[in-house]
Amino acid sequence: MAQSEHTLIQRSQKGDHDAFAALVDEHQRYVYNLALHVIKDENEALDLTQETFVRAWTALPNFKGQSQFRTWLYRIVTNLCYNRLPNLRRSLTDFGDDVMSDLPDTHTINSNPAREVESNEIRKYLHQIIDDLDANHRMLIVMRYQDELSYEEIASLLNLPLGTVKTGLFRAKQKMRLALERFYSEERWTTA
Amino acid sequence: MDDRLTPKNQNNSIEDALHSYPSVPMPRDITANVMSQIRATPAPRFEFTRNDFLLAAVVAVVLGAIIFGFRSLPPHVLLQMRIQVILLWQSFLVNARWLIPAIFFGLAAVLAALTIPALIQMTTHRQR
Repeated sequence: MAQSEHTLIQRSQKGDHDAFAALVDEHQRYVYNLALHVIKDENEALDLTQETFVRAWTALPNFKGQSQFRTWLYRIVTNLCYNRLPNLRRSLTDFGDDVMSDLPDTHTINSNPAREVESNEIRKYLHQIIDDLDANHRMLIVMRYQDELSYEEIASLLNLPLGTVKTGLFRAKQKMRLALERFYSEERWTTA
Repeated sequence: MDDRLTPKNQNNSIEDALHSYPSVPMPRDITANVMSQIRATPAPRFEFTRNDFLLAAVVAVVLGAIIFGFRSLPPHVLLQMRIQVILLWQSFLVNARWLIPAIFFGLAAVLAALTIPALIQMTTHRQR
């Protein structure tokens, strides 16, 4: 029978290795995903994931359950990323905290098959653009869109003002928008 | 105008790309590695080391020496020391009139200095 995460954490806090192994099994892909998107090196991301769980084990008695376990792990992996990329922390705070109006989070799906093919192509292109963004932008995108953390959760996790998180995501989307405009203009140029 | 270039369509494309940005699968399971590393690391336990005993012995000897020294001093020397202590305390109380405001001003200056980085950051952001 699958045990609740809360029970597994409690048992791990008492030193139960099997319970902690179950937690590692459950959360490793999320930690690895974030580490890889930030570090961009498969082996280093694996090392970092492993180190995150070893540190989590030693710090587990201090985990009071005020945040989700995964968010707590993200805090550890983020600190390890700061150690590996010393400029990452500064580049995040450099976003500033001018509150910017965010792009709406809603999107509509095309039902037209021709448009569907085209949007697949655009989607692939934009995914490539996200991959090429700076580590700070990728980190925010993974937290916001893959892990669906709220702006407040990201701000608290990274110990940044809420405005800085919003500005960071806004700037990432601005870069994507510029890339999209470039894509359309190049496409027009080749078809003309 | 190409309708794909409208802000709404651009936003839709960007949001669609962000929501569909793929996660990376784990290349291999690391549970066994993590657990072997955890098992190899002994759990931290509270225990006295040799240095703790050594430090305690040194502190005890020093304290004992001080007490023994005071006890073996002649009474007139003890009296002289007491007079000196009273004089020192009185002189401190006289100078404390100036010391207390000086401490407060010093603290205020330190707190004001602590705000300088935040002020610099605010002004540089405004310039941007």
